[in-house]
Amino acid sequence: MTDWIVVAVQIGLPAALLLLAYVVGTAVESRHYRSLRARELRTRGFPVVTFREAPPEWRITGSELVTGSVVISLDYFKRFLAGLRLLVGGRIRSYETLLDRARREAILRLKEDAFARGCHAVINLRMEAMRLNRTLGAEGGTAGVEILAYGTALKLEKRGAV
Amino acid sequence: MRFEGRIPRDDVNVSRNSMLGEAATLVAGIAIVVLALAVLVYGAVELVVRFLPADVEARWFRGIAAEAPGTGDPRLAPTQALLDRLAARWDGNPYVFRVGVMPAEAPNALALPGGGILVTTGLLDRVRSENELAFVLGHELGHFRHRDHLRGFGRRAALGLIFAALAAGGASVSFPATVSAFTERSFDRDQEREADTFGLGLVAAEYGHVAGAEGFFQGLPDAHASVAANVSSWVATHPVSAERIEAISVEASARGWPTVGALTPLPPDWAPPPRE
Repeated sequence: MTDWIVVAVQIGLPAALLLLAYVVGTAVESRHYRSLRARELRTRGFPVVTFREAPPEWRITGSELVTGSVVISLDYFKRFLAGLRLLVGGRIRSYETLLDRARREAILRLKEDAFARGCHAVINLRMEAMRLNRTLGAEGGTAGVEILAYGTALKLEKRGAV
Repeated sequence: MRFEGRIPRDDVNVSRNSMLGEAATLVAGIAIVVLALAVLVYGAVELVVRFLPADVEARWFRGIAAEAPGTGDPRLAPTQALLDRLAARWDGNPYVFRVGVMPAEAPNALALPGGGILVTTGLLDRVRSENELAFVLGHELGHFRHRDHLRGFGRRAALGLIFAALAAGGASVSFPATVSAFTERSFDRDQEREADTFGLGLVAAEYGHVAGAEGFFQGLPDAHASVAANVSSWVATHPVSAERIEAISVEASARGWPTVGALTPLPPDWAPPPRE
């Protein structure tokens, strides 16, 4: 009887932690998505493009490098779900939202940075993803991923052309 | 060219199905596959064990039995001699038995594949007469007789598969040894009873009576008290209950084996028992 209790605790405790991680993670995620959508709507008029060169009709008065960076890590539940995917393959759904949020957040931060510097547009937008290694306990795994968005912010003489 | 500000779509890079649903489907699916595999492995090993001739087993596992440790203990030789006498009482015994002494406080005895029997120093310290030791050794011989010592392999292989799948799944769920010890133990009750019966038979054949067999159990600490403390002791792997002692005397009277008789003392240089 005591053995069954021990087994129940050993299986039940991680299961409870998983559920807790799921509930908290979902709440955080939907809040983040609400914030993303609101800010994207607000900054939709600010051009961020991947062109390497500005359109010839733009009269550029200044330029600078702008960046937006996000460092993300996994929660217990997402890691668990991805672990299951290791066995059977397929889309790792738990990473998709995480990385989607990170990319959109990075671009938003870049836009907000450029806007704060008094710029009017960003060209040559590029994105990078970097894995952060664990510094302690070198037995594999990552500490997280950095998503970096960077580009050239331009100051324009007249925004009318845009 | 005109710039038109658009907001990103939510459904391009992200699947919209529920994570919880996906987790449930995956866990259930993987569990079914792994369990089916475990059953298959278990069945396959059981089949091999059932049809593996004892002499082939002895050849395969000769190494394990030969490496029985603890040759330094002076009680090894008399224990081996007693084991040989008991084994000679077993008609059609296909094994050559080797006893080994394992330095450990907990009283315990183990049957190894190939004919090795390990007894702990704790067990040797506790026995008060040769009859008690003979019953313990006879009980282990009973495990060989019913091939129980090999039967654990199928179970361990199946459990190993399940734990490997859990680890591969990246589930940072740790399953301490207690879980596997528990599953092995609860499986063993019937086997223990049958080994008891066989051991009793050998003791009766050797001494003409089965006195002392249950005496050993009565000297052991209560099973319930020690389960949490040490599941690997004799008490836990060989559950001692009033039921079991009862079963021994019932068995003895059914077979007409006297339960009283003169106990054969241990050799004079045997370590004094710590009890009493």
